Amino acid sequence: MTRQAAAEQVAGDFYTRHFVEPGPREDTLILNMGPQHPSTHGVLRIVLELDGEYILRAEPVIGYLHRMHEKMAEVKTCLQYMPNMGRVDYLHPLAWNWAFVGAVERLGEIEVPERAEYIRVITVELNRITSHLVWWGAYILDLGAFTPIMYAFDDREYLLDLLQIPTGSRLTYSFFRPGGVSTDLTEDFLKGVLEFIPYFRSRLPMYKDLVTDNIILRKRIEEVGVIPLEVCRRYGATGPVLRGSGQPYDVRRAEPYSVYDRFDFEIPTDEKLDAMGRYRVRVAEMEQSMRIIEQAIEGLPEGPHIVKGAPKPKWKAPKGEAYFAVEGARGKIGVHLVSSGKANPYRLKLRSPTFSNMSLFAEIARGTLLPDAVAILGSLDLVIPEIDR
Amino acid sequence: MSEQWMKGLKTLCSARSSFEKTGQIWSVFLSPERILEAARRLYDEEYFIEDISVVDTADGFLVVYHFDHFDGSARVALRCLVPHDNPRVPSIASVFTGADWHERESHDFFGIEFTGHPNLIPLLLPDDLGFHPLIKEEKARVPLKDLMEPGEIVECDPGFTLFPEEAKEAESEKPAKEATQGS
Repeated sequence: MTRQAAAEQVAGDFYTRHFVEPGPREDTLILNMGPQHPSTHGVLRIVLELDGEYILRAEPVIGYLHRMHEKMAEVKTCLQYMPNMGRVDYLHPLAWNWAFVGAVERLGEIEVPERAEYIRVITVELNRITSHLVWWGAYILDLGAFTPIMYAFDDREYLLDLLQIPTGSRLTYSFFRPGGVSTDLTEDFLKGVLEFIPYFRSRLPMYKDLVTDNIILRKRIEEVGVIPLEVCRRYGATGPVLRGSGQPYDVRRAEPYSVYDRFDFEIPTDEKLDAMGRYRVRVAEMEQSMRIIEQAIEGLPEGPHIVKGAPKPKWKAPKGEAYFAVEGARGKIGVHLVSSGKANPYRLKLRSPTFSNMSLFAEIARGTLLPDAVAILGSLDLVIPEIDR
Repeated sequence: MSEQWMKGLKTLCSARSSFEKTGQIWSVFLSPERILEAARRLYDEEYFIEDISVVDTADGFLVVYHFDHFDGSARVALRCLVPHDNPRVPSIASVFTGADWHERESHDFFGIEFTGHPNLIPLLLPDDLGFHPLIKEEKARVPLKDLMEPGEIVECDPGFTLFPEEAKEAESEKPAKEATQGS
């Protein structure tokens, strides 16, 4: 049978047909993993060509959660767009809040009061811990262990209750404003955070004993999904994926924004380059976030939480362009804002870290076992709405 | 930050910009045929790709490539202006593999043809959509000079007239040619 004829016999949609166009071998299996597969976290689909359990070729098919946030920006004013920023990445929405208001502030040369900067640091770092906790629980769940996600969600619940005090919501925060944040922190909130930190520190050794040092986990993810640094650079992978490949690159240090240069914290890296390396980086980052929060609460200055004369809903951004990047839980979030002087942005580009991190999957998965591909996917910490935007 | 990659690269206009103000340190206009060479030079200098985006302006589609360096605060913006009726740029996916998806996305949104792209099929939008949603209507387009500051121009080709005032300053060396361009 010719390859063309073989391709015509394959049932499926545009992407499946396109995938088999170069011609599958007669003894291989074409498999659609997803879009509704428990280990793809949302609606991600991967078309695979399998030789037994080995992956010969993989092609991610994305866009099932595409909402065209970039077009929405062009029909809304900067302030009206804030709720969108809570919905791009539902696990670390405050980092997206920050990336957007950062770009607006850079373009409009808006000053941010010192207290607001500290409030941003505290809430973003708390949100980073909740994000890593969800990743941690869900990743272990992907690999077949059910219990840890219950522990992770228990701790996360504590933080969601806390973050609800200033932000008013539990998941899709739109708390930041150009020029500050929408409400001040309360004493209850600060007290709760200071109680949470020692409590969470006491939990970490248990997590280590139960999961990190567990021989079943180690055998499952050590030396799986090795990503050399050069691959990260070619694909623009950032965040824990890049740091798990040994490069201590963190936007909080490399392009210091806000008050991050005042805090003492480490950038965890790992030299093993494998899924376990990325795992260790994220676990270590939770501890570093707690260190930052402690220092920020200690140094929290008095003053207003939003600058006087902060932009109103119909505020017009001046002409020009600005790019602002922050470190999200999954890597470098970038917002490129171009304004023609009207109330609506002329063009807004959202750089999503998981988009770049995911794009290297096809290369890394080639030649691995199908179950290992699941371990690799999870180790990239994918949030599909963020890939699709 | 090393600026070795710029040496000998033929640009249309290269300008330093203020990181505090715009978030980038270089803004470099290139003709489309130079983009692959520029990308290769950046790759050799250990830059990584951040994203590729497009701005629809009255002067054409501005394809913007952002690169950054692990040493920090080194964002370079390469820009290519292509006409609305024939938007073609060579693909840089052969150098920066991650550009593959960014280019597919730009193809979805704006219909830019990335020549030499290994797999230019829809990425985020349905394959039968039939239009490019981020293309602006003719009357909504704004000239490039009203959207971005040129920055501090280091070198500018006399034929490059997108930023009229700045071009005049750089022109003192070639007054005759500039006068004809300005009219």
